[in-house]
Formats: sequence, structure tokens, C-alpha cells
Amino acid sequence: MAQAIKSRNILGAIAALTVLLFGGWSGAVIGWLLGTGAAFIACQGKKITSAKTGIRLGVNAGLGLGIWILIASLVQGFLLLPTTGQSALGIIQVLTLGGAGLVVATLSGWLMGAAQGLGPRRQRITVAFLAVILITFPLIDQLADTNWTATVIQILIFALLALGLNIVVGYAGLLDLGYAAFFAIGAYTTGFLSSPQINLEWNFWLVIWIAAAVAAVAGVILGAPTLRLRGDYLAIVTLGFGEIVPVVFRNLTQIQIYEPISKIFASLLGQPKLAICLVGCDRPFNLTGGEAGINPIGRPALPLIGTFQSGKYLPWYYLVLLLVVLSVLMISRLRGSRLGRAWAAIREDELAASAMGINLVQTKLMAFAMGAFFAGFAGAFYGAYISAIFPSVFDFSVSVIVLCMVILGGLGNITGVLLGCVIIMAADRLYLPQLAQVLKSMLNTSVLPNVANPALRDFLATSVDPLQMRLFLFGLTLVVMMIVRPEGLVPNAERQAELQSPDEESLAEVRSL
Amino acid sequence: MTMLELKDIHTYYGNIHALKGISLRVEPGEVVTLLGSNGAGKTTILRSIQGLLRPRQGTIRFENKALEILPAQAIVRLGISQSPEGRLIFPRMTVKENLEMGAFSRRDTLGIKTDTERALTLFPRLRERINQKGGTLSGGEQQMLAIARALMARPRLLLLDEPSMGLAPMLVTQIFSIIQDINNQGTTILLVEQNARMALTVAHRGYVLQTGQIVLTGTAKDLQSNEIVRKAYLGET
Ligand SMILES: Nc1ncnc2c1ncn2[C@@H]1O[C@H](COP(=O)(O)OP(=O)(O)OP(=O)(O)O)[C@@H](O)[C@H]1O
Ligand SMILES: [Mg+2]
Repeated sequence: MAQAIKSRNILGAIAALTVLLFGGWSGAVIGWLLGTGAAFIACQGKKITSAKTGIRLGVNAGLGLGIWILIASLVQGFLLLPTTGQSALGIIQVLTLGGAGLVVATLSGWLMGAAQGLGPRRQRITVAFLAVILITFPLIDQLADTNWTATVIQILIFALLALGLNIVVGYAGLLDLGYAAFFAIGAYTTGFLSSPQINLEWNFWLVIWIAAAVAAVAGVILGAPTLRLRGDYLAIVTLGFGEIVPVVFRNLTQIQIYEPISKIFASLLGQPKLAICLVGCDRPFNLTGGEAGINPIGRPALPLIGTFQSGKYLPWYYLVLLLVVLSVLMISRLRGSRLGRAWAAIREDELAASAMGINLVQTKLMAFAMGAFFAGFAGAFYGAYISAIFPSVFDFSVSVIVLCMVILGGLGNITGVLLGCVIIMAADRLYLPQLAQVLKSMLNTSVLPNVANPALRDFLATSVDPLQMRLFLFGLTLVVMMIVRPEGLVPNAERQAELQSPDEESLAEVRSL
Repeated sequence: MTMLELKDIHTYYGNIHALKGISLRVEPGEVVTLLGSNGAGKTTILRSIQGLLRPRQGTIRFENKALEILPAQAIVRLGISQSPEGRLIFPRMTVKENLEMGAFSRRDTLGIKTDTERALTLFPRLRERINQKGGTLSGGEQQMLAIARALMARPRLLLLDEPSMGLAPMLVTQIFSIIQDINNQGTTILLVEQNARMALTVAHRGYVLQTGQIVLTGTAKDLQSNEIVRKAYLGET
């Protein structure tokens, strides 16, 4: 009960914040999304015998959320807008926007509650709801003029990464700090195969599979030297790989390859002309474009839609959504498979797993390969979507952010990992920039003109910027999270049990010493 | 035909010369026990047999196949499984999942089912706790689980490393009578024990180990009456 109230307040606060920052019809959109979610949470763990009880719970949750939205709309329209230099809205307009949020949230709660009341088919219906939301989202987004689709595409790209890393870290228990390397390898493979850089313009639908396969092979190659390492040592080596790969891509710009035997003879005889040149003879061959990267990269095309355009988000959105759904299906099957059980066993105890007849080498390499495979997917899509790639995109912070998503959501749990991804990415790419913008205009119109001291004014103008505090906020979230809920938002049952009985775990540790 | 034969095995941990030329054999149907004080090398012998450690020298033959060149997973498939020292059960898996992991090397679903049933009949305590997490079992129950899990591979040779460690006297008696049962049902057993008295009551033959070398061997009866064994391992004066 207390849990339900707590989560309801958190959702309410998020909805209110959304309205305050974005204004307009964002209340209705967030009311739709979170109203459904709130109703779902309200019905969790309860015995719902009829549609009526479900509806009561759902409407309750939706209405509670709607009230938050209505209040936030009033505050935003009357008080907040004037302080940012825009004119306040009329009473009718404010009531329309806020009222729409309230109604939509309540209706969504009603629908979800009714669905939860349907008894045994509950789970399937929840999935159907999720599907409808995901499919209609970009259309609603356009209708409401909230412009969130571009960000959601980014969220989904990272969802692919988080799902893949979850295999390595969550399932097999191998701490990988250099996961961005495989993202880079997928993206660069796409770059090589479908750009003027080396004059290959292969079809995207083929290239994306090649990119994933190449990343998987890279996973095996980079994984092989780490097989004998555990824990901290493994983390450090993977960290190194994560740093090396972008550096290699940054520097493969002056390639000249000679046939080796003739090259040796040539240098022995002091006659450089004798060496037989194979690649980059007239002028060193530029493979990766260095810091400037590869640009442009070919885009996917489909019969009716034609080539995907950069400003038109709909096809991109559905494509990456499809990739995510495909990955979720594949990964959830993997978990229950023989391979998935072998991963669970080596995560718990390598020696015992090996005594059970599990091939440690093969099992670990498969974890690296499968994890990298999905990063390759993400990389290929990313390259085509941005239509360009640069080495700086794939630095250490990407590996860390993806790892945070996995840990925040709950190691080894697909739902949790996706939730962690959505929360971190939405906060980072949607709310924080918008907050920065709102604060800036607020500062410029309402605060700075009233500050007499020029030094203080300069200080305020330059230092109030949430974007600069991005990493700080990030770290803060993690620290708080680890204290409040170390098992993640949606923990998998095993890990929860383990964290709740700390002496058990330390015993296991002593035993394995 | 001899089931298992070790000839002049030398195993190292880095520079530590843990086994200094071990030769021993196990005949089909036997219970053979390895006695020896702490650090004598008993666990090392079992790990060498199972392919978890590689001997630097010497040969291990199991039913005329050379084991020292096979990887651990192939050795399990040949029919050798182990209840390791310290049990090493999977703490976050349930009893049922632990048993399933024991049958990892097999693919005959039906056979796995009958063997699960057999293991749970041998250890009724595990049946009561089938959905409990391995890490939350008591020490004795974990020991039972470790033995049951080893049986799930349907081994012809079962390696047991100190199955009585840390158990109350009542439970020790019970575990040894189960070991006797397993042997009566046709499984050959190589038993490592600190509890020499109990080990020699179920074993047919035994080897006494000291700092990586075998110093004494004989039938269980001979060893029981041997002066050295009585002093060092049976605590008699
Ligand atoms: N991982 C290891 N690294 C280095 N030395 C080891 C390792 N494991 C065992 N040893 C050493 O090898 C020798 C034999 O150890 P082993 O574990 O086989 O003894 P044991 O007879 O099983 O003893 P116990 O009855 O105490 O279990 C000991 O001297 C031990 O210190
Ligand atoms: Mg030992």
C-alpha cells in the first residue's frame, strides 16, 4: 500500500515536472503514458476479481495523476510563462490544456484498470497496451506538437545497447567496461560498407546483419584474452579495449600496405622502389576519416516509403522499435535456453560450473559475442540514422551510461533494464536540456535585470546551467539508488534474495576463497 | 578391467609441487578412500582426475581412455562427476535448478526425470525444499544437495570430497549410509575423507597420502589395524 502511494507520488511529480518544463499539450501526452502506467502499478499484486475493481483502482490512479497535471498546468500557464519572458495564457486556454491532461490521464487509468480486471489474460493484455502505446506514440507526439520522437529514437538505440550489455553483465556476470567498442565496430562496419569512403554502397538491410556479425566476432576476439580473468581484472582489461577501439578508428587514416617479403628485400638492399605496394600507393589510403569520421552513410530504403529522410522521424522510429522488439524476443528466449543456464552457472561459481560439464571458454565467449551482436545492431542503425559517424561518439562515457542503465534497472531483468534505459535517457536527453533552456530564459527575463552587482550577475549567468551538472546529477542518482534500492528498480528475484540476506552472500564468498 | 588408473601424476599450483608422483587405481564397483591430513593433496587428486587441473606429468586412464588430455566437460560426459570440497552449490538457484545443472551434460529428458526422482528418494529432505534457494539451505542440506547434484550426471565413477565436513554426528552416519546405498546401486566411488573411521567402514580399499605422496595402501581392514593409521587418523594411542 505504502509502496503504491509512493510510486503514485513519484509518477505525479514526473508528470507535473513535464508540464512545467514543456507546457502546451505535453500534459495530455504524459497523462496518457503515465496514467496507463499508474493504473498498471496500482493493480500490481492485488487480487482483482472483476473489471469493476480494476476500473476503480485504475481511475483512482489516473485521477490522482490528472490532478497533478491540472495543478501544474495552472502554475505553468499563469506563473511560470511570464517569468520566462512569454505572455501568460488565458484562463480558457490553461483550463483546456490542464483539463485535457486530467481527462486523458483518468481515461487511460480507466482503460488499463478495466484491462487488468480481465483476469487470466492480464499479462497478454498489458503487452497489447504497451504495443498500442509504442505504435501510436509518434503520431500522438505529432498531434500534440511535443516533438519527443527524435529523443525516443535515441532512447531506443540505447535500449539495444543496454539489452546487449545485460547479457554480458547481468546474465553471465562478466563486468565489461568497454562495451562502447562494439557499438563503434557496428557503426564503422556500416560506414565502410555503405559510404563513398571505400566506394561500397551496399544495401542497409544487408549491412545491418553484417555489422552485427562483425561486432559479434569482435566480441569473441576481444573476449578471448580476458577468459582467465575475473572481476576487477576483467573490468580493467575491457576498459582498455573500450579505449583502444575508438583510438584505432581515429588513426586509420594513412594506410599504406606493402607486400612484406619485397618490403624486407627493399629495405635490405636500400632500394625502396623494389617494395611492391598493395594498398594506398599513390596517396595513403584514408579508411576511417579520422576525427571527421565517415560521412555520408547510406540510408535504408523501403518500397513504399522510399529512402528514409533525416528530418522525418516516423520510419526511423518504427525501424528501431522493430529492432528492439526483435532483440527482446531473442534475448528472453536465450535466458531460458541451455546457454542461458550455463551463463547463470558461471556467474554463480565458475569452478562448480566447470565441474558440471560446462565449457567455460565457449560459454564466456558466447556471452561476449551475443552481447556485442546487439551493440552491432545499435551501431548500424545509429550510423545510418545520423548518416555520419565520428570516433568521439564512442568514448568511455557511453560504456558507463549503458552500464548504469543495466544496474539501475536491475541486473539480469529485461523489463528493469529497459526501464533503467528510459529513465536515464529521458532525464539526460529530454528533461535536462529543457530544464536548462527554461532556467536560462527565466534568468534572463526575471532575475538578471534585477541584480545590481555586475560580478554576481556574470556569475549567475554563467554558472546556472544544469547541463554542466550532468555528470554530477548522474553520479548523485547512482549513489542514492545504491543506498535506497541496491537491487535495481525491477530486480530479478534471485538478486533480491541475495541482497536481502547479506550473511548468506559473505558465506558463499568465504567458501569460494 | 580397471576403471580408473593414475600413473605417476605430478600436479603443480604455479611453483608448488602438490602431487609428487601419485599412482592409484579404482576397480569397478569399489569404494576407495583417500586419507591424509590437511594439505596432503587429496582435493588436488580429485581435481586432476576431473580435468579442473592439468597434471604436468603422468597419465590418467578411465576405462582405457586417456583423461589427462580431455577438457573437463568431456570428462563429465564420460561418466565422472564430483561433489566438490566446500560443496560449491549454486547459492542463488533453487534446489531444483541445482539438480538440473548437475544434469547439464545430458540431453535425455526422460532419464533426467527418473534420476531426479531417484536423487530425491535418496534425500527426502531435498524434496521438501525443492524450491528453496541453495544458499539458504543448512550446511547438511547443502552437502546432500552437492551429492545429489553430482548424481544427476549419472556417473559411473563418483568423486566425493569430504562429504562429512562440518556435519553433526547423526548426519554423518546418515550420509555414510547413503554413500553405501549409492555404491550398492552400482556406482563406483572415490571418497576423500578426514573422518577415517567412518570412511574405512564403507570403503573396500584405501590409500594414505602425505605431502603429495602415497605412503600406505591396503584393504580397509588392513588399514584399520595398521599402526600408523591408528595413531595418525583414528586418534588412538
Ligand atoms: N589454488 C592453490 N594455489 C596454490 N596452492 C594450492 C592451491 N590449492 C591447494 N594448494 C596447495 O596444495 C597442497 C594440497 O592441497 P589440497 O587442497 O589438495 O589438500 P587436501 O589434502 O585436500 O587438504 P584438506 O584436507 O585440508 O582439504 C596444499 O599444500 C595446498 O596449500
Ligand atoms: Mg581438500
